[in-house]
Amino acid sequence: MIAVWGLTWKELIRKRVTLMTLIMTILFWIAYWFLAGAIAGGEVHVVTSLGLLENFTRSAMILTLGFFFGAFAVAFLAIFSSVAAITGEAETGVLQSVLARPIKRWKWFMGRWLGFVSYVAIYASLLYVSLHVICWIHTGVFFRLEALLPSLGLFLAVIPLLVSLTMVGSCYISPLGNGIWMTMLYGMGWLGSMIGRFMATGRLHINGMETLETLTGLIKLAMPADALQQRMLSELFSISELSGLYDLNSELSFFSVNGAASNSLLLYSAVYVAALLAAGLLIMRRKDF
Amino acid sequence: MSGFAIETNQLTKDYGDGRGCHGVTLTIREGEAFGFLGPNGAGKSTIVKMLTGLIKPTSGKAQIYGHASGTIEARRRLGYLPELFRYPDWLTGEEVLAFHAKLCELDKGAAKRRIQQLLDEVGIGSRGRDRLKGYSKGMQQRLGLACALLGDPDIVFLDEPASALDPVGRYEVRELLARLRGQGKTIFLNSHLLEDVEQLCDKVALLNNGQVLLEGKVCEVLRQQSIWRLRVNGYTPLAAERIHLMLGTAAAVSETEAGDGTVWIELELEDDEQIGLINYLLIELGMTIYEVGKTQSRLDEWFMQAVTGLEHRGERR
Repeated sequence: MIAVWGLTWKELIRKRVTLMTLIMTILFWIAYWFLAGAIAGGEVHVVTSLGLLENFTRSAMILTLGFFFGAFAVAFLAIFSSVAAITGEAETGVLQSVLARPIKRWKWFMGRWLGFVSYVAIYASLLYVSLHVICWIHTGVFFRLEALLPSLGLFLAVIPLLVSLTMVGSCYISPLGNGIWMTMLYGMGWLGSMIGRFMATGRLHINGMETLETLTGLIKLAMPADALQQRMLSELFSISELSGLYDLNSELSFFSVNGAASNSLLLYSAVYVAALLAAGLLIMRRKDF
Repeated sequence: MSGFAIETNQLTKDYGDGRGCHGVTLTIREGEAFGFLGPNGAGKSTIVKMLTGLIKPTSGKAQIYGHASGTIEARRRLGYLPELFRYPDWLTGEEVLAFHAKLCELDKGAAKRRIQQLLDEVGIGSRGRDRLKGYSKGMQQRLGLACALLGDPDIVFLDEPASALDPVGRYEVRELLARLRGQGKTIFLNSHLLEDVEQLCDKVALLNNGQVLLEGKVCEVLRQQSIWRLRVNGYTPLAAERIHLMLGTAAAVSETEAGDGTVWIELELEDDEQIGLINYLLIELGMTIYEVGKTQSRLDEWFMQAVTGLEHRGERR
């Protein structure tokens, strides 16, 4: 399993996934640096005159924008690195030569899974830290460790979810089809969460709201990635602790942190990932190559 | 131990669309070289994949050295060269072998020595340090062969091992396989190159539409009469009579005009030594011999006779 894990890392490095990701991230950092500077130095309409809250609001805006990009970068890296994990390898005949070796099939699957998850997790952690450092340089606000750690955990939680879903898809669908399917599913999850956020702020008034609520709920169950992302921001900004004292969401406007995953949805997500992983292992064990 | 490297009993794979194979029963002894023949789409690769554990049989059983096919114990004994494969081009040849050595549970020192030895043996040598994207199809094939032999397996499954090789490469592979056979390894050769099968294998089986049509030892198959063709000048019908007298009534003679005044004589002989006598006779009768040769490989002939007139599902529309 360790050998397969190592091979996965080598693949991601040699195929220039790392290089391209780093180049794009550096470009983003440059843009983000100027954006953070502009928000930190600009005028922010805050309902209170307290400088601390003003700074907090500015940093919340900067980080929300940063994690808006970060969530997409991490999601696409997770999806597209693992998109060809099974059918892609089988199409080229690599899997046939490997699975005829005295290796249990589940070890191959787990080795690949661990490789993808650990690789994207390291990238996501670096991105997470870098976004905070840039924000801190511009606003001087540094979040408590009690808020940072759970929010980092939630930021990373999306990775096993997306990798598991993509790898299960790759047991049946060709790399191209799987990539399209996963991108659309992720996009649907994001859109569902967006609609949910609008509904929560009361800005959306249409007929059939109940149906829409059911639909967004179902989408959340199929793809809870954005709900996890919202919960990550909610933990970071301590939204529940500020409830009744300060309405950060009205300041964040379009990027308001509504629709965060409840504890039940967090538990569901964990079970969902475990079920997907188990399904992947079972499919791999039974599949003909 | 049964002394069998491979034993299958009514091995069946039903894909539900007519493809697959049905009731295949084979036995291959340890150290035997076995040639598996059949037209395209006959189901040869399906059987190889079942034996190597890549696909699961619908029914029936298969054993490799007494272990059920697909089990770790069975896979420890085998090496496999798939028909269609492409190793990741971002790895070097040495890295591909090093990765497979880990999967074969070889220790680091032994793996290093074995990798170098195999790279030299298959003719890749120092190019093993190059990335695979610079490899030709033939070099990939050589690497695949090295990969199959990496764990020093007792049985090697080779699915079209010489398909991408030039004549020199083909010769080298044939020599390598002959050496393996000399070492007592069991070889399961799935090939369309009947000349290679004829030279290497002890036993052959012919598969058509997923069923074993014929099976036998190569020496028995080759006991058939062989056909020789001679282009001569000055041919007269008297020559045919003299040939019949010399070889007996079993000799079949036919002749066709070559168009340049010469005549092609086709002879069906019981053994190759008779061609020397024919040469002598024709010269004695005052004829000039321009060409003498066997029409085709004898296994080719056997294969053609066996499958001619049969319907092959691989060609069905």
